[in-house]
Amino acid sequence: MTSKTTRSILYWAILSPLMVVILFPFGVMFVTAVRPRAELFTYPPTWGFSEFRWENFSEMWVKTNFGGALLNSLYVSISATVVALVLSIPAAYAMSRYRFAGKGAYRTFLLMTQMMSPIVLVLGLFRLMMALGLVNDLNSLVLTYAAFNMAFTIWMLQSYFNSIPRDLEEAAWMDGASHLTSLVRIFLPLAVPAMVVTAIFTFINSWNEFVLALTMMRSSEDFTLPVQIYAQVAGRYQVEWHHVMAATVLATVPVAIVFSWLQRYLIRGMALGAVK
Amino acid sequence: MSSVTIRGVRKKYGAMDVLHGIDLEIRDREFVVLVGPSGCGKSTLLRMIAGLESISAGDILIGDRVVNDVPAKARDIAMVFQNYALYPHMSVYENMSFSLRLKRMTKDVIDRKVREAAEILNLSKFLDRSPRQLSGGQRQRVAMGRALVRDAQVFLFDEPLSNLDAKLRVVMRTEIKALHQRLQTTSVYVTHDQIEAMTMADRIVVMNAGRIEQIGTPLELYDTPANLFVADFIGSPSMNFLRGTLDNGGLRLADGTLLPLEKVGRGTLGQKVVFGIRPEHLVLSEDSRNLAAEVEVVEPTGANIQVYAKVAGSPLCAVFTERHDFRPGQRIMLSWDYERSHLFDDATGQRL
Ligand SMILES: Nc1ncnc2c1ncn2[C@@H]1O[C@H](COP(=O)(O)OP(=O)(O)OP(=O)(O)O)[C@@H](O)[C@H]1O
Ligand SMILES: [Mg+2]
Repeated sequence: MTSKTTRSILYWAILSPLMVVILFPFGVMFVTAVRPRAELFTYPPTWGFSEFRWENFSEMWVKTNFGGALLNSLYVSISATVVALVLSIPAAYAMSRYRFAGKGAYRTFLLMTQMMSPIVLVLGLFRLMMALGLVNDLNSLVLTYAAFNMAFTIWMLQSYFNSIPRDLEEAAWMDGASHLTSLVRIFLPLAVPAMVVTAIFTFINSWNEFVLALTMMRSSEDFTLPVQIYAQVAGRYQVEWHHVMAATVLATVPVAIVFSWLQRYLIRGMALGAVK
Repeated sequence: MSSVTIRGVRKKYGAMDVLHGIDLEIRDREFVVLVGPSGCGKSTLLRMIAGLESISAGDILIGDRVVNDVPAKARDIAMVFQNYALYPHMSVYENMSFSLRLKRMTKDVIDRKVREAAEILNLSKFLDRSPRQLSGGQRQRVAMGRALVRDAQVFLFDEPLSNLDAKLRVVMRTEIKALHQRLQTTSVYVTHDQIEAMTMADRIVVMNAGRIEQIGTPLELYDTPANLFVADFIGSPSMNFLRGTLDNGGLRLADGTLLPLEKVGRGTLGQKVVFGIRPEHLVLSEDSRNLAAEVEVVEPTGANIQVYAKVAGSPLCAVFTERHDFRPGQRIMLSWDYERSHLFDDATGQRL
C-alpha cells in the first residue's frame, strides 16, 4: 500500500464517527419515508423494508398540503434573501469604503445582535407585528428573517469588499465612470462570490427557521415547511411517521443538492476574484 | 494636451501635514518626474492632480481651468497605477475599451483605437486574454494601453515599473520615453528610483518630507544640486561628503587634515561646511599633497571599478573607468577637478 492510501484510510477512520452521527438521522429518514405503514414500528428496528413505496410521497403531498407550505417557504426565503442583500450591499460598501463617525461602534453593535437568540425576542417581535398588523402575514417573516441575517451578511460582505482593491474603482473613475457606473460595472461583478455566499446563508437560515414562523403564523395555509411538518407530529393522536419523513426528505434533499452544486460554482467564482 | 499648474497645494490627513505647500508649473508636452524617498508625498500629490484625493489648500489648474472641485471622471486625465488595476473580469480588449465604451463611441471607432494602441504596445496577440493570463510586463502594457486609447490631456504614472524585474524595467523605461516622444502628451511620472528619473525626465522634481527640494533638468540636478539632500539623492553611487571647517587655504577635516580648496571664497572663514565630490569625479594622482585614502573594498562591475576607501576616518567611494589593480589596505592619492566639487553649509544644508 502506498503511503497516500494509508493516509486516506486513516483520515476516513478518524472522520467516521462524525459521519455516523451526521448520516444516521438521514438514514432513518430515508428508510422510514419509503416504508409501508405497517412496517413503521418493527421490533427490533431494521434498516430493511419489504416494499419501496413511492406512493408515500404522493399521499403525503396531498394529505399534508405540502405544495402550499413549499410555496410559502420559497416565497419567504427568497424574499428575505433579496431584502437582506439589497439592504446589506450598500451598508457593507459604506463600511468598507467610507470613513464615518461611529463606524467601529456600529460593527460591534452588529456583532452583539448576533449573540441574542431570536427566541428571546419572540414576544417583543410578536407585539411589534401585531402593531404593524402583520401577524398571520408571510411578510412578517420576510422582514424578521432579513433583519436577523443582516448582521452576518454585512460582516461577510464587508470583509470581502475590503479585499477588492480600491484601485479598480479609482481606475474606473479615471476612465470616466461615475460612482454608480463603477459600482455596477466594476465593483459588483467582482463581489458576486461574496453575494452568492451570503445569499445561500440567508436562504438556508430562512428555510429552516422554526420558532418565529410558529409564533407569527396562525392559520395553517400560511405555514412554512418546518411548521407544517411539525404540525403533522404535534398534538396528534396518531402520527403518520412515514408521511412526516417523506415530507422531511422533500424539504431537505432538493435544497441540499442545489447548494452543493452552487458551492462548486462558488469556488470557481472565488478563484476568478483573485486580483493582482 | 495641456499644462498643469500647482499653486500652494497642501494636504492634511486629520492633524497630520503630508504636503506643506507645493508650487509647480508643468508645461504642455513636458515629461516631469516626481522623485523622492518613500513616504515623501509623491503619490499623494499625483492623486490630487488626478482628483482622487481632496485638496486641503491651494489650487490645481489643468490648462487654465481650476480643477479643485472637478471630479476625477471629468478631468480628462489618464493614470497608470502601480499594480496596474486592470479589471480582472474583463479581457484585455474590454479593459482597453472601457473608457471609450463609457463615452458611447461607435464600435468601429473603438475597435480602431484599441487595435492602434495594441499595435504600438505589442499587445495585438493578447486582446482576447484575461489579465491574469498575462505576465507582469504585459499587464503593465495593458495598463498603458488603457491610458493611451483615451487621448487624455495629461498622463499620470505612479511607480508603474516597480513591480517588474530589473531588466524589464529598463526596457519599459525606454518604451515609455519613446512613447512620450511620439505622442507628446504632458506626463507626470512618480518614482523613487533616481536612475528612472534621470533617464526619463525633461525636468525632475525632487521631493522630501512633503516639500520640493529642487526642480530642474536631470543635468542641472546632477551638476548643481541646491542642497545636501538633492546632492545625496541624485547619482549612483552617491556623492561623497566630507565635513569640516573652512580654514586658511582649505578645508580642515575632523582629524586635522587640511584639504586644499582653490575657491574658499564660497564660504566664510571658520564656517562649518560639507564638501561634496561625486565618485566618478575622483581621479588618481601622484601628488602627495592631495587626499590620501586607504582602500577597503574593490568592486569591479566590468564597465568600471568601484573602490570603497577611508579618508580621514570617513568612508569614501571612487569610480574608475580605467582598470587599475587595487588591493585592500593599499594607500592611494586622489584628486579632482574643483569645478566639479560642491560645497554646502553644514547647518542649513544649502549649496554655497
Ligand atoms: N489615507 C491616509 N491617511 C493618513 N496618512 C496618509 C494617507 N495616505 C498617505 N498618508 C501619509 O502621507 C505620506 C505620503 O504618502 P504617499 O503615499 O504620498 O508617499 P509616497 O511618496 O508615494 O511614498 P512611496 O514611495 O512609498 O509610495 C505618508 O507619510 C503616509 O503615511
Ligand atoms: Mg507612492
